Amino acid sequence: MTFPDEVLMAYADDELDARTRAAVEAAMASDPEIARRIAQHKALRSRVHSAFNKVLEEPVPARLLKVVRSNPSGPHKNNVVPLHRRPVRRWAWQQWTAVAASLIVGLIAGRFALVRSRVAGPIVMRGGRVIAGGMLADALSDQLVATQSAAGPVRIGVSFRSKAGEYCRTFALARPAPLAGVACRAGDDWRVRVLARTEWTTGGGADTYRQAASPMPPAVTAAVGNLIAGEPLDAQAEATARGQHWRP
Amino acid sequence: MGSSSEDLRDHIIGLLPRLRRFARSLARNIQDADDLVQITAERALARAEQLRPDHSVASWLFGILRNAWIDEGRSRRRRESLLEPEDLAERVGDPAGGTDPELLCLQDALSRLPDEQRLAVALVLIEGFSYKEAASIMGVPVGTLTSRLARGREALQSMLSETSGVLS
Repeated sequence: MTFPDEVLMAYADDELDARTRAAVEAAMASDPEIARRIAQHKALRSRVHSAFNKVLEEPVPARLLKVVRSNPSGPHKNNVVPLHRRPVRRWAWQQWTAVAASLIVGLIAGRFALVRSRVAGPIVMRGGRVIAGGMLADALSDQLVATQSAAGPVRIGVSFRSKAGEYCRTFALARPAPLAGVACRAGDDWRVRVLARTEWTTGGGADTYRQAASPMPPAVTAAVGNLIAGEPLDAQAEATARGQHWRP
Repeated sequence: MGSSSEDLRDHIIGLLPRLRRFARSLARNIQDADDLVQITAERALARAEQLRPDHSVASWLFGILRNAWIDEGRSRRRRESLLEPEDLAERVGDPAGGTDPELLCLQDALSRLPDEQRLAVALVLIEGFSYKEAASIMGVPVGTLTSRLARGREALQSMLSETSGVLS
């Protein structure tokens, strides 16, 4: 018996009536392809669900609580108190002129952006995973903590082996935004395991990352704590690992 | 009315984490997502009398958020990727919480779906609404919801499969 994909999807979502469910289960037992498609639907559901579930653990911003607690309720009850509204933007001609001017600039800039966007950013997605790209990927593969330049765009913090045996490295970037994170070697890629905003202090005219003044963000420190097996690599172990292209 | 208004406030406060999660599947960044939740709370309080006693408060609030997103959407810009360097700063969590790249990845994939498929996926897969509830929030028949969900899922599946190439 064959089923349209919508029925298999509804089975995975527990939306079928008992009779159809039983028919699908019977078919599933005899047809591995049906079982595979149902498993795929379930896996996608659980992947999407668990990624977004992390939002539930974040503290709710105070401004939202304040709106709910103190905004007046109902249109008629509180005529005295004006409702908090976002101001409706009415644009004057000056602003429209500015928009027109910026569109022209945008058209010109767009020509350059087309060229620029061929260079991969530091964080890219491939095969459903977030990996390091461009200068970040290069720095993770090539830069050694002992010899890296203080003026470079990427700073490597520590290198270590994870419990799964892969090589991982912490990094900090000044551009496009002050970000820090952990990336672990997976095949020829550096898979990004955590990202967090950080401080990148500017001093003496050039961008310099002051590790002493601005240590790793707590999110990165916590990720290292969860991933690391043993101690961070020393300079010699790091150089050896690079020589082996970070393959375990 | 006083006490029912307090009940509604408590109810909204209890649902804020879920509304934030839903908004994060729709908005480009954390700030925009929380703006959507704020608009939702403001509108819900201003229109409290529209909530029928037999109506689920959750469905009502999610419906308001969905409408707010569609309204805001007029000014939304489509870009190639949410991981564009200039967007990264506002999409990455604070130093304490950080961001799980898996979430970034799924948000990016969701943003490539047509709006209606994206809503169907968010309401059913992320929020766990039944097909019937999701259809009622979207104001469409269950059959329409089901086909949007199926198409959205199929597109997501191919974007997220390990064998797919660079997403851009």
